[in-house]
Amino acid sequence: MTLGSVVGFVFIALSVASLYLLVAIGLSIVFGSLKYVNMAHGVLYLGGAYVGLLIASEEQFGGLLSDAGAVGLGWGFVPALILTPVVIFVLGVAMERLLAKPFYDRDLLDQLLVTFGVLIAAQEVVAIVFGRTGTIYPRPEWLSGAISLPVIGTPPGMAAASSIRVLVVTLTLLLVGVIFAFFKYTDYGLAVRAGTEDAEMARMLGIRVDRPFLLIFALGAAYAGLAGVLGGSLFNVTSGIGMEIIIPSLVIVIMGGVGSLRGTVVGSLLAGIVFAVATVVNPSMTQASIYLLAIVVLTIRPSGIYPSAEIGQ
Amino acid sequence: MSTDNVQSDVDEGSSRFSLATWDRIKHTERFIVLASACFVLLFSYLFGRAPVVSDVLRGYHGLTMTVLIWAIFALGFNLLLGRTGLLSFGHAMFFGTASYATALFAIHVFNDPLVIVLFGTLTATALGAVAAVILLRLHTVYFAIVTLAIGQFLYFLANNPLEPITRGINGLSVSREPVLGIVELDHQYGGLLGELVVNNLYLFIGAFFVGVVALVVRIRKSPYGLIFKAIRENETRSTFVGLDVWRYKFAAFVISGAITGLAGGLMVVHTQFAGVERLYWAVSGDVVVMAVLGGLGTIAGPVIGAFVWFYFEGIVNGMPTIGNYWLLLLALSFTTVVWVYPDGIWGLITAATRELRDPEGLVAKVTGQGVDGSNAEESEGGDRS
Repeated sequence: MTLGSVVGFVFIALSVASLYLLVAIGLSIVFGSLKYVNMAHGVLYLGGAYVGLLIASEEQFGGLLSDAGAVGLGWGFVPALILTPVVIFVLGVAMERLLAKPFYDRDLLDQLLVTFGVLIAAQEVVAIVFGRTGTIYPRPEWLSGAISLPVIGTPPGMAAASSIRVLVVTLTLLLVGVIFAFFKYTDYGLAVRAGTEDAEMARMLGIRVDRPFLLIFALGAAYAGLAGVLGGSLFNVTSGIGMEIIIPSLVIVIMGGVGSLRGTVVGSLLAGIVFAVATVVNPSMTQASIYLLAIVVLTIRPSGIYPSAEIGQ
Repeated sequence: MSTDNVQSDVDEGSSRFSLATWDRIKHTERFIVLASACFVLLFSYLFGRAPVVSDVLRGYHGLTMTVLIWAIFALGFNLLLGRTGLLSFGHAMFFGTASYATALFAIHVFNDPLVIVLFGTLTATALGAVAAVILLRLHTVYFAIVTLAIGQFLYFLANNPLEPITRGINGLSVSREPVLGIVELDHQYGGLLGELVVNNLYLFIGAFFVGVVALVVRIRKSPYGLIFKAIRENETRSTFVGLDVWRYKFAAFVISGAITGLAGGLMVVHTQFAGVERLYWAVSGDVVVMAVLGGLGTIAGPVIGAFVWFYFEGIVNGMPTIGNYWLLLLALSFTTVVWVYPDGIWGLITAATRELRDPEGLVAKVTGQGVDGSNAEESEGGDRS
């Protein structure tokens, strides 16, 4: 392997890990702190991809919009990166109030089933409105080439270390740092941790756990929305991507240890590495490998890599 | 429930065949099996060829076999979730694996419908035993997600690396041979039998359906099956009274997998095809929707759920305006059912008949426990949480 292909390999692993991480982190926090398992989290990824598409391009869609001509705004990729998380944040607030809150005290199985139903319904709505065929993000020119790295220069013949992957990885590192800092240094983060330990006691002490919970739910939503835009620029956008991303993400959350941020990060990294290794060694095993990894990990450690971690760790 | 109902029977001094007698017999094992046999005999006729009914329903014979097979699938799935409380989101693994096993056995070894279906079922049983070792250490959501992971793993495995064996998206074609070399499954009947069941294939599938209903009723009525329920209600307490919980969960999982495998095998006989999409997560999702929509923990529920699902997919799908929205409608009704009415469609029907019989709740007062007891049996999906 040349140095260039090693760099390319690392960036495939990291960018895939980043996508999973951005989706899984919201799932993990909400699961860990609110004891709410949210398959409808996939709706937020799906929503992010389509909202981003609407902002970024002058796309002609199928479905109900097939007669509408170009429906996208055509503002470009950067506005989509900034605006989409905001829109999905609002969607997250709505989801928490309408879908999640009534279910906090109910059985985990009910939560799983209801959010599964919502995810299927949302995917159908998207399919009906935007059509069932896939769309490709218009990738801006400055993101379509390979990046020139310090010391190494442009990796020879490796489009895999493309600028878009570098962007994905950088953004993810930044955002994960934000989440860790949120839990460590802010009062809201402290309130969430208190509410997780013992919601009733926290309430007695005068901490309003309601709003911090809403905030982290929506924050997780915004992350998933951003992941939608980034994922859309790497892969195809179809109405089925919500389910496609939520299955490995849930698997990663379970594998890492529910509620453990550290576990989610490590789980995503492992999944990314396994994904990249499989791509190089035996491409036909790429998608199966992540599940195999999870099955092996959970056979050895049934409660995940970092079991029973405190929220924020 | 029996003594109370007999008491009320005497009190009312009603005719020989009263509602109370009906209450007594409608839960007996023999009646349920008999009813399912009658259902099989009449279902195809009513759905596809009866004068007024089937004009309204717009049904056709081929669909009834699909419904029966999926009803078997849903009954197997429901045995796990409805009785034991384990939500499997990866039941497609049994359906798909059994499909492949059935098809491969038919192609490479010996092609007799009975034998290949048996082989498919045995393969699913073995898969269940292996998967259970990993899965049964996990709880609720962990269990659900990891079953999903195993299912997806097998799907991607069959899709790509195993393509030389499974032929990927092209799938495997299987010819339909006579059962035991004598009974031609494609044989069309004339006369009354032709009106009712059309051909031997329908009878073949229907017989398995009745057999599965009989098996499931047997399990439900047996002390063994009661322990499944006990585990669902309170696992810790079940352990404390000295039950080997793991063993019973294992049994429930393997039996459920075997029944699902039977459905997978029958699907190969019916469609003469085995393909990778039967391993896809969507298959697992579909059966979850069917069982929950119809009514969890009951026998009629999953059957109704399978019917509703395929009615929407096969017939509503083709209707002019709402055809486009069939899956959306199903998904929304599924969500509503989980959210506000966990008893499902069958729960709705039993509640409605109770209401009809007894608008003021008098019977409930008089026979109290009797009616309640039977209701608990009927609509136990409601008390899951």
